[in-house]
Amino acid sequence: MRMGEVAAQIPTSFGHELRACLRCRLVKTYDQFRDSGCENCPFFKIEEDPERIVDVTTPNFNGTISMMDPRRSWAARWLRIGKFAPGCYALAVSETLSEDMQSLCQEERVQYIPPKRI
Amino acid sequence: MLVLIFPISVVIGGGITTVVCLMQKFVDRGSDLQIRSVVALDHFKNYIYVEADKEAHVKEAIKGMRNIYANQKILLVPIREMTDVLCVESKAIDLSRDTWVRMKIGTYKGDLAKVVDVDNVRQRVTVKLIPRIDLQALASKLDGREVVKKKAFVPPPRFMNIDEARELHIRVERRRDPMTGDYFENIGGMLFKDGFMYKAVSLKSIIAQNVTPTFDELEKFNRPSENGEAEFGGLSTLFANRKKGHFMKGDAVIVIKGDLKNLKGWVEKVDEENVLIRSGMKGLPDPLAVNEKELCKYFEPGNHVKVVSGTHEGATGMVVKVDQHVLIILSDMTKEHVRVFADHVVESSEVTTGVTMILSFWSNNPSFGVIIRLENEAFQVLKGNPDRPEVALVKLREIKCKLDRKISVQDRYKGKQGPVRHIYKGVLFIYDRHHLEHAGFICAKCTSCIVVGGSRSGANRNGGDSLSRFSNFKAPAPVPPSPRRFQRGGMGYNGMEGKGWKGRGGRGGRDDSLLGTTVKIRLGPFKGYRGPVVEVKGDSVRVELEMKIVTVDRNAISDNVSVITPSRDISRYSMGSETPMHPSRTPLHPYMTPMRDSGATPIHDGVRTPMRDRAWNPYTPMSPPRDNWEEGNPGSRGTSPQYQPGSPPSRAYEAPTPGSGWASTPGGSYSDAGMPRDHSSAYANAPSPYIQSTPGQPMTPSSTSYLPGTPGGQPMTPGTGLDVMSPVIGGDAEAWFMPDILVDIHKVGEDSDLGVIRDVSDGTCKVSLGSSGEGDTIMALPSELEIVPPRKNDRVKIVGGQFRGSIGTLIGIDGSDGIVKIEENLDVKILDLAILAKFVQP
Repeated sequence: MRMGEVAAQIPTSFGHELRACLRCRLVKTYDQFRDSGCENCPFFKIEEDPERIVDVTTPNFNGTISMMDPRRSWAARWLRIGKFAPGCYALAVSETLSEDMQSLCQEERVQYIPPKRI
Repeated sequence: MLVLIFPISVVIGGGITTVVCLMQKFVDRGSDLQIRSVVALDHFKNYIYVEADKEAHVKEAIKGMRNIYANQKILLVPIREMTDVLCVESKAIDLSRDTWVRMKIGTYKGDLAKVVDVDNVRQRVTVKLIPRIDLQALASKLDGREVVKKKAFVPPPRFMNIDEARELHIRVERRRDPMTGDYFENIGGMLFKDGFMYKAVSLKSIIAQNVTPTFDELEKFNRPSENGEAEFGGLSTLFANRKKGHFMKGDAVIVIKGDLKNLKGWVEKVDEENVLIRSGMKGLPDPLAVNEKELCKYFEPGNHVKVVSGTHEGATGMVVKVDQHVLIILSDMTKEHVRVFADHVVESSEVTTGVTMILSFWSNNPSFGVIIRLENEAFQVLKGNPDRPEVALVKLREIKCKLDRKISVQDRYKGKQGPVRHIYKGVLFIYDRHHLEHAGFICAKCTSCIVVGGSRSGANRNGGDSLSRFSNFKAPAPVPPSPRRFQRGGMGYNGMEGKGWKGRGGRGGRDDSLLGTTVKIRLGPFKGYRGPVVEVKGDSVRVELEMKIVTVDRNAISDNVSVITPSRDISRYSMGSETPMHPSRTPLHPYMTPMRDSGATPIHDGVRTPMRDRAWNPYTPMSPPRDNWEEGNPGSRGTSPQYQPGSPPSRAYEAPTPGSGWASTPGGSYSDAGMPRDHSSAYANAPSPYIQSTPGQPMTPSSTSYLPGTPGGQPMTPGTGLDVMSPVIGGDAEAWFMPDILVDIHKVGEDSDLGVIRDVSDGTCKVSLGSSGEGDTIMALPSELEIVPPRKNDRVKIVGGQFRGSIGTLIGIDGSDGIVKIEENLDVKILDLAILAKFVQP
């Protein structure tokens, strides 16, 4: 198995700073998002507008999965992160992306699946 | 592509760390690490799941990892369960301002708090709480003095009074919060405003799910100088947290938020969050869709409702006032005003009398009482103290057991009247609807009550007795296997008990109580016989039958007379009832005679039937058999009323069996059958022989003397009526004693002789000895005489009933009846053998 792609940043700490991107569920720390934005969702332009971090990421997420090889992982397919970069992802997020952000996704023709509410 | 998932045991809490570390390792090592992914679930903190092709890859990957238990056996997740690994329940915690939450930890654990600010970045919220501050301790601490921290001492919630703090020389700083612009009092690092404490806590230390503030908590929160709007706000979030879908079609609702606020309407349809209502208002779409959160149930004063959740769950009552979300209801049960949320209430015509009818027992002060009211955590109990009403508040855990007594007897109490709901240890709990205190319960000693109306109680002259007997009575309405057996028997104790006692044999050994009591044998070769118990030996008892003592199984007997209650106390009562019996016992013999049955037959059938079904139903109509009796006694019918329970002599008993008045007991049973209502029936059923004799023959007061005795009931054997009774009841003798009839003479100390009554006067009889009366003449008391049952083709004299005095020929015998051809009119009548005596031509 080769590493064909560049992995996303791996979280450097495991406490309260961990946040998950509401669209792709990538998990990183607040600071990491501020530094390099979301690798899977560049259109959010987090680096340019750090305030967005609060809007597009959430600390409320459930379960963590380290995805080493999304292309060949069954789990990745199941979780619909097969197309994303290797890295740490959340199994589920507790918040829905705001309306504005959803329309942004549509404009970019990027898929957004809201979390299932039980 | 075959995918395998391996669970790996990890140190609890180290799941995420390991997952991330493995990711890092992957990034560093590249192709060395051949696993595809690793999952750590929040709710399975001791395992991580590795996705890989081969187990070997997994082993390689976890080598050297901290947090992973080394050398563990690597298992495999079955394919079916693979997806479960990845399934997580996503909880949506929408924390917003004014949300109600509860504290998870610390001094305020469990306390209700309101969110005032949410800081998502730092995962903290500022909440507003009712402070639990020990000012003294705080003052000491701030002064630098030693504070003795009382262990596990949680100060009660109390609003912070700044002045009070100042008095204790606690430094109070007034600060302005840069964010909100409000002024806060800073005391020892804690912020206060309006008496509330404001605290910043992490999200992890609060519970936001299913937080339903109770009415009291809400009141407390909203009390200090907050206007109605604020309360509203609180309540609306309360509603927001409500479970969905509890509006039902047809509910009356009112809009509480938005443009349509205060609009009333009716629910037409509920569709998840949207409720369609019809308002009938012009200009509005009909039906109108309103968000569930903006609606609230609406009630009008006068509606009868039931509370379905919350503190007062289960209560029913009438709405007296509607105050936005809060309804004031007059509870049916406790006749008090209760405040509840409109949310918790549905319209209902159900009236709860409450769970008040439980007799309970509590341990610290062994006593008993009836629950008259349910409160949140305790019961209000009317203690079993007949002298004065005593109410105690009993906590749930102090209740030992529920005592089950089911008796319904009408009783009168100091002018108050009401059915007895429970009886225990000689104390009656009477429910009087008109009684305003204690939910209508009155506690009284059974001796101070007498039975009113009705039946069953087997009225004893001494009301107390019967009642006390009842108290001991354990079994509910008895319907013994063979009620018929009871019929007569009833006497004495209020049949009820007897019935209950059927199985007495099986009930614990109450040997002492059996001794001496008259029982009826139900099974075995001696079935049908009655006799006193002379000895008790474990499982069997010895019963004296007609000069013979037999051994029968305990279970085969039924207690005829007096109730032998298991409790020791009761035996007293039984004894009481037994007493009268004794005298009657002597003439037991007669009972054994066919006569007993003869009379019984018709009655039994009639009476029995209804009885069987509902032993104590006083209203069971008397059946035809009665007619048998009627035959001869149209007149008696008329007289019967005399014997109605009302009959003076038997006053105590009232009803049970008219006529059976005496019988009280057995009669009682019958009375249940409805005798009270139907006089004639009474007679019919009344086992009391009196009835038989009665027709036409007045039951003399003497009979009444037997009332208590009832046990005397034996004589009651239906049919036998007089015959039987005579020995027992001196007074009645005249009933059947007539000249020219053949009798058996039982003089004390002598053998029985045959004789013919020649003359009856003043209660004594002149009897000529010999089967045809040719011998000497002696004087005898009716109690010493006994009718000799006639045989077929004998000439008979009818000594009871309508045709008393007539002579006829017994042309046939049918069971316990005799077919008689009356000489004077050549009528053929069917009469009870008990009233037929062999005629001896003078």
